[in-house]
Amino acid sequence: MNTSLRRDRQDLLRAGLGHALNLGLPLLFVVIPILSFVVVSFWTLQDGQILLIPTLANYRAFFTEGSYLPVYLQTVGLSLQVTLVNVALSTAIALFIFRRTPRMRFLILMSFMLPLFMSYIIKVYSIRSILGQRGLLNEAMLGLGLIDQPIEALLFSRTAIFIALAVLYLPYAILPIYLALDRIPANYLAASADLGATPMQTLRAVVLPLGRPGIAAGAVFTFILTFGDFVTPQMVGGTQGFTFGRIVFSQFGLALNWPLGSALAVILLATTLLAVALAGLSLRREHVR
Amino acid sequence: MQPLLHLNNVSKRYGAVRVLDGIDITVADNEFLTILGPSGSGKTTILRIIGGFEGIDGGSLMFEGRDLSAVPINRRPFNTVFQDYALFHHMTVAENVGYGLKVRGRPKAEIAARVAEVLDTVGLGTLGGRYPAQMSGGQRQRVALARAIICEPRLILLDEPLSALDVELRAQMQRFLKSLQRRLGIAFVFITHDQEEAIALSDRIIVVNRGRIEQEGAPEELYRRPRTPFTASFLGDNNLIPGTLAAIDGRLCTVDTAAGRLDATVDGPAPAPGSAVLVAVRPEHVRLDADPAAPHGMSAEVADVRFLGANVMIELFNPALPGAVIKVRRLADGSVAGLRPGASVRLGWAADDAALLQVAP
Repeated sequence: MNTSLRRDRQDLLRAGLGHALNLGLPLLFVVIPILSFVVVSFWTLQDGQILLIPTLANYRAFFTEGSYLPVYLQTVGLSLQVTLVNVALSTAIALFIFRRTPRMRFLILMSFMLPLFMSYIIKVYSIRSILGQRGLLNEAMLGLGLIDQPIEALLFSRTAIFIALAVLYLPYAILPIYLALDRIPANYLAASADLGATPMQTLRAVVLPLGRPGIAAGAVFTFILTFGDFVTPQMVGGTQGFTFGRIVFSQFGLALNWPLGSALAVILLATTLLAVALAGLSLRREHVR
Repeated sequence: MQPLLHLNNVSKRYGAVRVLDGIDITVADNEFLTILGPSGSGKTTILRIIGGFEGIDGGSLMFEGRDLSAVPINRRPFNTVFQDYALFHHMTVAENVGYGLKVRGRPKAEIAARVAEVLDTVGLGTLGGRYPAQMSGGQRQRVALARAIICEPRLILLDEPLSALDVELRAQMQRFLKSLQRRLGIAFVFITHDQEEAIALSDRIIVVNRGRIEQEGAPEELYRRPRTPFTASFLGDNNLIPGTLAAIDGRLCTVDTAAGRLDATVDGPAPAPGSAVLVAVRPEHVRLDADPAAPHGMSAEVADVRFLGANVMIELFNPALPGAVIKVRRLADGSVAGLRPGASVRLGWAADDAALLQVAP
């Protein structure tokens, strides 16, 4: 009796510990850090001092002061563009890989994933060296006689930021889309053809609908990563590279305005959460097998 | 009469492995044809070749006299019921069933009407709005059938469609398939490794083994008169007793075995006296009380009597045939009540019930 009681208590303790970890770890590593800057976003900055006086001034500043809102909207626009192009490109690439033999699939997929194993900074520098005035692209076009003198606008322009972001985050879209396609049973394709569908009809009615979760995930990844990136725009965009991420970053650096920076970060977070929610909404009709 | 479908001397290789070796198959209109074979026999490859999922390395594939080998899957006038049904899980039952008409660009109203009609035919009238995941195995099977028949193909291909169902549902689906095939009047080419299923369903069975056709014919003919050792042992239970052909008189053969002189009959060209043969006799055809004075027949000792409900299976042996178990099936009535292991009996059968099989040299 006594021992079974003790065992009950031990089980209870173990279960409790398990729950504590289940809830505690996300709390410790995710919720608390996020909450901390949400809290800071409501504080007041006065004469370079952070005062614990609750205020909405930081959020008001976003809507009224300087270029916060325009830059925000521009960055949303840029990120949406990159997302659109990346998802289209990645879907095409994923379909291409999907149509190869299993052995080739792995090789091609791996070669597209290779950049994920490289340092971010190296990738940005190699993009710079391709787009620069004496870069690969300009030299090649010069050599081919397509242009008379190097195009400066390739680097340090909005186009440069666009290209760099698209190239940088392509693997993050290819992978989920490919994985979604890879889960389509081979029999479905056979059945579709057997019922009279052309390859194009099979693509539209079977492959793309079933790839939708992957496409949504790829879009969300690209949007979030692009929207929050503050290094790439600066390194390849020069003075043009003033994106929302860089404004947030500068509030914690040069401007040393943590409350405003936190408020802008909250807005950034809210935007990405909105993107995730929209993606989730578009998948509501999914039916598990 | 020209057959609906004709596979003429078809061969198929995967790398160095020959999976089909000169297969000849004809399918007649309205016929329920079963291709029966063990796994690895090439039966699924035959189906995949007809469906267009595999090409051929030799021979030809003709549909009503037209060569089909260059016709892509989506233009072949057949539809397939896949082993795991391959229902699109992101579409409702109605969308699945109507798919074949939709890709042909038929008007929505026509599709809806036909879907309702075909769902009625397979007994799923009201379930068009469900998703495949919300249905039972037997219902999914019916959806797959409905999807395959909606475009009114001349022939449908069925790849072991009943193998995933439990025993009771299987029997029910067998009856349903057979009645559906009769009602629709289209040819079914049915693939299975289950000989009972093949016998119960088919107008004609083609037995394949190792990429070749062993024998073809009506179920009863194959069962009663197997011509090869493979067919004899694959379709139902059979006792195969080795011996040499002693004499032949018309169809009637006398075979010398280690256990005595036995009677059998032969179909088709008979081997020369002196060649190695097998006598195939079904457990239900062996008599246990043959006249000991009869010149032909063998004696045996009861090794085991197994009660199987309606039947008993009696296992016997003869010291002259080491390793061979002779099986006899009897109704479980009073006639076998006294039979105990160790009892000596005299075995015999009507010559017509025993088939003479040639042994490949």
